[in-house]
Amino acid sequence: MDGIHDLGGRQGFGEIDVDEPEEQFHEPWEARVRSIVNAMSGPPDWNLDWFRHCRELIEPSDYLSRPYFDQWVQSHCAMLVNSGIATVKELASGKSAAPVSSMPAPMSAAEVKNTRLGAKHYDREIAAAPAYAVGNSVRAKGHGISGHTRLPAYVRGHAGRIARHHGAHVFPDANALGEKRFEHLYTVKFEASELWAEAQGQREMVYLNLWESYLEPL
Amino acid sequence: MIKHDSDTIAAIHRELHSHLPSEPALRAKALESLLVEKGMVDPAAVDAWIDAYAEDIGPKNGARIIARCWIEPDFKQRMLDDAAEAIKELSYEQSYLIAVENTPNVHNLVVCTLCSCYPTALLGMSPNWYKMAAYRSRAVRDPCGVLAEFDVTLDEDVEIRVWDSTAELRYIVIPQRPVGTDGWDETRLASLVTRNAMIGTERDLSARVAEVA
Repeated sequence: MDGIHDLGGRQGFGEIDVDEPEEQFHEPWEARVRSIVNAMSGPPDWNLDWFRHCRELIEPSDYLSRPYFDQWVQSHCAMLVNSGIATVKELASGKSAAPVSSMPAPMSAAEVKNTRLGAKHYDREIAAAPAYAVGNSVRAKGHGISGHTRLPAYVRGHAGRIARHHGAHVFPDANALGEKRFEHLYTVKFEASELWAEAQGQREMVYLNLWESYLEPL
Repeated sequence: MIKHDSDTIAAIHRELHSHLPSEPALRAKALESLLVEKGMVDPAAVDAWIDAYAEDIGPKNGARIIARCWIEPDFKQRMLDDAAEAIKELSYEQSYLIAVENTPNVHNLVVCTLCSCYPTALLGMSPNWYKMAAYRSRAVRDPCGVLAEFDVTLDEDVEIRVWDSTAELRYIVIPQRPVGTDGWDETRLASLVTRNAMIGTERDLSARVAEVA
């Protein structure tokens, strides 16, 4: 979707807070939220792309202004309401009005030690051969997609070159709709001068990871 | 069952905006209390994760990997060939990890323009600025300007490679080993490596050599 989250190349957001203290969390509640999300159970039809889409749909002014982990709270609250697990009233009060049925058991403290962050897999072998090889010229499709997608607006319609092929990965646009489909994934290299008028003559390259159906041959 | 409808979610967000407690900490507290009551969270597991973030998860893990790259050229080559596989030698795990190397002629910078993708297992929590609009919007369009804010200036013949983490691939920058560190062991070398150097918002670690020495 052409939402507020698709920030690549947008202008006017000012300076970066380069003096931010280097600590894992700035507030105790932030560590708590991150840890709740790691430890909580959820219905089997929730997945990463659905979560991302729910975050993209936060009101734009909230998306830009609210603390990051507050957006995690907001997104999970919306997912709970949407899935019929909690009501807005329950989330406002913190008090449960009705039990949930058939939810997987949450993670125990003992299981935390054996859980490896970053160990999840999203790829699968597929029968279809990759349409592109390293070095091929491609163009990112020019149109946007109304639902969740990982084709940022700033590369749409622009030409790049296949830099690497990664096998087939779960396709986010479909995964966010509950459909597991796998597509070849590539790293595509774009010259900055192809993307931005002011970058002419500069030695800058931008690499994105793009699924096959985001691309067309050039 | 999920109702897969963007407008429905947007409407829920607006309703939540009007009804949830006014402070982020209170919203988080209400969510946790409710999940505990519904049997969807074990508070002891939450505490165990908080301990893990305080003790085990953080940029020191990435720094150790970088130090190993500096000591063992063969390991660095294995990182460049297949980083997800190579880090298993040090008992780390990060699927689809890509290592990109800074050289005298190349500088790498990592961003996620669409959300906040980051190799948390190796670098810990990403800084807030990594997740905020100013960095995400500008890193792909004005990387020199971004680097200048971090006091990094590059010679004109240095190529900048910006990596936008749009899929489940995760990036770690291998910074250049500073001079004056010959014979240093892995622990000492690792203490030179900053989180920002592994994101690409710091380039020259040589000023740290005197500090660490």
